[in-house]
Amino acid sequence: MKNLKRILCLALCLMLTLACVPAMAAGSTKIGVLVADATGAEALAFRAYYEKYIANAYDVEFIYSEELNTADGEKNAIDNFIVNNCKAIISFSSVDRPAQIEQCDAAGIYYAVATGTLTDEEYEEFKDYEYYVGAIGPSLNTEFQVGYDMAAYYIDQGMTKFGIFGGAVPYRTDMHIYRAASMLSAMIDKGGEGAAYQGVTDPGAVIGMIYGSGSIETGKIGNLELAAYVGGYDFDDAWFGKLAQMAGTEGIEAILTVGSGVDVLGSFVAGSSVKLATVDSFTSAMGEAMNSGIIDYVAGKFATSIGPIFVATLNAVNGQPIRNEEGYALALDQGYWVAANAEQFAQYYAVDSSEENPAYSKDILDAYAPAGVSYEDFAAFVAQYSFDEIVALKK
Amino acid sequence: MEQEARKALDVIHADHIQPGIPTALLDLQERKLVEVAKVMVKKPEILVVDENTTALSQKGRELLYQLMDSLKKEGKAVIFISHDLDEIKQVCDTLTVLRDGRIITHFSKENYDDDAIKTSMIGREMQGDYYRADKEPTWQEKVLLQADHLTGSGLQDVSLKIRAGEILGVGGLSECGMHTLGKALFGGAMLTGGTVKTEGKAYSDPRQATRLGVGYVSKERDTESLCQQASIRDNIAIGGLRHIQKKKLILKRRETAYVQKQVDALSIKCRHMEQPVSAMSGGNKQKVVFGKWLGAGSRVLILDCPTRGVDIGVKQSMYQLITKMKNEGKAILIISEEMAELIGMCDRLLVMKDGALQKEFLRGQMNEADIIRCMI
Amino acid sequence: MGKQTWKERVPAFASVLGLLVLIAAYYIVGAVRDANVAYGLKAIVNQSVVVALVATGAVFIYTLGSFDISLGAATGVSALLGAMAYNATGSLAVMFLVCVGVAVALGFINSSLASIFNLPIFVTTVAMMSVLSAFMLILIGWNGAGDTIKVKGRDMRPLDNIPFKVVILVLYIALCWFVFTLLPTGREAKFIGGNPVCARLSGINEKKLGIIASLISAVGIGLGAFLTIIYAPTLTKDTASSIGMDVIIAIVFGGMPVSGGPRSRILSAVVGAFSMGFMTQIMSMLNLGSGYGQMIKAAIFLLVVFIALGSQRGKLLTR
Repeated sequence: MKNLKRILCLALCLMLTLACVPAMAAGSTKIGVLVADATGAEALAFRAYYEKYIANAYDVEFIYSEELNTADGEKNAIDNFIVNNCKAIISFSSVDRPAQIEQCDAAGIYYAVATGTLTDEEYEEFKDYEYYVGAIGPSLNTEFQVGYDMAAYYIDQGMTKFGIFGGAVPYRTDMHIYRAASMLSAMIDKGGEGAAYQGVTDPGAVIGMIYGSGSIETGKIGNLELAAYVGGYDFDDAWFGKLAQMAGTEGIEAILTVGSGVDVLGSFVAGSSVKLATVDSFTSAMGEAMNSGIIDYVAGKFATSIGPIFVATLNAVNGQPIRNEEGYALALDQGYWVAANAEQFAQYYAVDSSEENPAYSKDILDAYAPAGVSYEDFAAFVAQYSFDEIVALKK
Repeated sequence: MEQEARKALDVIHADHIQPGIPTALLDLQERKLVEVAKVMVKKPEILVVDENTTALSQKGRELLYQLMDSLKKEGKAVIFISHDLDEIKQVCDTLTVLRDGRIITHFSKENYDDDAIKTSMIGREMQGDYYRADKEPTWQEKVLLQADHLTGSGLQDVSLKIRAGEILGVGGLSECGMHTLGKALFGGAMLTGGTVKTEGKAYSDPRQATRLGVGYVSKERDTESLCQQASIRDNIAIGGLRHIQKKKLILKRRETAYVQKQVDALSIKCRHMEQPVSAMSGGNKQKVVFGKWLGAGSRVLILDCPTRGVDIGVKQSMYQLITKMKNEGKAILIISEEMAELIGMCDRLLVMKDGALQKEFLRGQMNEADIIRCMI
Repeated sequence: MGKQTWKERVPAFASVLGLLVLIAAYYIVGAVRDANVAYGLKAIVNQSVVVALVATGAVFIYTLGSFDISLGAATGVSALLGAMAYNATGSLAVMFLVCVGVAVALGFINSSLASIFNLPIFVTTVAMMSVLSAFMLILIGWNGAGDTIKVKGRDMRPLDNIPFKVVILVLYIALCWFVFTLLPTGREAKFIGGNPVCARLSGINEKKLGIIASLISAVGIGLGAFLTIIYAPTLTKDTASSIGMDVIIAIVFGGMPVSGGPRSRILSAVVGAFSMGFMTQIMSMLNLGSGYGQMIKAAIFLLVVFIALGSQRGKLLTR
């Protein structure tokens, strides 16, 4: 018994010592990364890009948080980054961005938003904060467009009966509400004479109704029909039952999802004729889903789309933050790639999936990484996010 | 599986136990018999029986003795560990006495001598009387406990009184209801009728009973009288917190003094009072239980099988203690399956059968044969 | 009569020794990694204080041999209602009273249900957890401001400081220690946890103790909710969701058996909560991936508990 305790103690000390060794060798610039999702395909792809490519290319060390879903979790994670002497934080977590910005500003470390944006009010409040780098990600307009284009794609093919998976709509998440509202707006616009959702046609009013109720009503929208709706992420038997019921709705032709389409509905539509469309990411898992026919349409971020925000952050850390002509922080829109079939997906994915030569490679980023890049040049660079533009950049 | 279990139970002639019943629903005796059957499935060459018979009624003991006898006839060996001299003398061919982890001496059946055995067990000659020295019943006038028409949980309209300075015994066969009676007198049994009072004040649950000065030593010492993980200090102090409190606060010094007093008075053998009671011998555990109620100043004590699983030396000291408590004017109820104990200690003895009181015997007029006749 | 040997005392102090070792390891690793250890201490207090508060109160419930699985949900509801009260009145005092009052009310409901229906407290808390989690969603929906309820961070800033939080923690621990150690409540609760049958037959009122334990625990929940709002003024449906599990880990890490009983100690909770805090900070400084960090935490946890629970059986008593 005594010996066992001694052995356990020694093993623990050895583990801690070994763990220290690589740490002692580190001397790179440390950047903290706040994540809301640590295990999804998109999150893993982002992380692989930063840790396996960017870290080596730019001599930076990324320190990742645990999966965050509360404001105090975000605050704790930022505290941990400060303890670790991180020079900057790139945030994928959005529970309380204002608090994150304030905390970083107070600690004198730079803060950047990846794959997202601040609201207009938030931007007005923080745009001149010294340590706020800015945001590069889909604006709410872009989110609206992605849902609209998705619904329009299927309506233009002659489909009339749809289902919508609303995701975080019940939790009043802006991104999902805008995507869902835009799907309804597409149906209103293309539903023919008198098409309306619950009597309204204005997109703003549709958004407002969804915010108010936290849900979407099924029914006719002109000559189109929203036959089924499921929202939330309950992950209980009743919720799965509703998803199964939606997939099995008689006559349903396509299910439009604001996100997580493969995870929540893949098994229910597999082998059926129901088309499943989703907003997700360009990862190998999504490619498999498209090849197997589970997913028919994906609008997604590509894994290296977070390259520009890293560059902006690095510039700030090096003492040359990129500010617009008024001296304010970045607020740049970055949209999605859209693939409507497996071949198109494969073509897009091939451009971005290489760990040796990703879409936003060091060669491309270096044009904007040194000090002195202008806001206009940088904004123009970020705006070239479509597949064709990326291919052109790489040539 | 049930067939095999049935066979195993038949080997020990426990026909009344059904193999399909969960053991949690069996009483302690039946569970003991199931344990024995389990062991016998392995057809042992040497069977070790360690203090099992204290939990068994006469019938259960007979079953075990039969089994031991049949093993002996098959040329196998039995090591029988017990405190009960009568039992040892009845079933054992040889006796080895241990004390403090050492072998003291051996006896063969023809050399069995009670005094010699007792002396070698406790390491000294037993001084004084084993039971009470006096032969006449004595008690004071004041009634300290009165139970009227207790009915329910197997009790059939039981009424009794215990006076100050009296030792009242209750005896009977194992299932006669006497253990339930003990609980009921402490407010711990579900009754459909009847009242229990102490000094004119009625109570119906253990909390009220303890506040009114009634103490209860359960037959199931380890599961009902003691908290095994707790220390000697905690087990003794818990009964008398209101005596230890000063201005509602429990101060460690007062608690230590309170517990130390009981430890000294009862000669509880321990290294220190923080010792968990689980590490103690049966006799010392029982002393801790006594200490809990004596420290609380209980004027009425209900003792259910108080010397079960306790060696002879400690038994004697307990009888002396009970006699001392009687002399101090406490009312004591002893519930026991040991005839000698009841006859040796009680002023009055009530015999129970099928939940009802059958007959009362006075000290000096207690005849074992008459008593047994009432029990059956 | 003799006294306990140092070997017999070690299990009682193993968790404190473990905390001291973790503190030493924190400074060593911090020095090697050139980390901001002073800031880290602040972070540890901020990250541990709510768990320490809730866990200290929960010790009373766990001591009874019971279990409260609704601690996180109760903290969340108390915090949401406290935040809504602040938004309605602008008063921190009102926010405090609502946080504690709601928590106490929930504790009273839990214990009353257990008492009336003669159920173990654990069973009623399972039901309460579901009800409260749903109620949090309803509250957020009522608020009509997206998926959060917020109070102005600037208004909370005067109280978002270490001395204030430490004072609240120390005062609450002192109260709990007083009740647990100097009043009969603690002894009776330990006895119930150790052997409820014996406790009943020793005259202890189990139902009354259950209610007292729930109310004391509820005060800790209310204080935890108050500090949660101050620390992170944006509240979501997941606010405080991990507290239930964190409390169990803290209590066990602090050397108290989760089954309660006589070996329960009021300080186990705060020792365990801060041990977890230091350990998390050490893992963070070492930048261990989530998997490695969790494995090492688990190994240290097992080691501390292994030593703390120790062996209860001493040498056989001589006659």
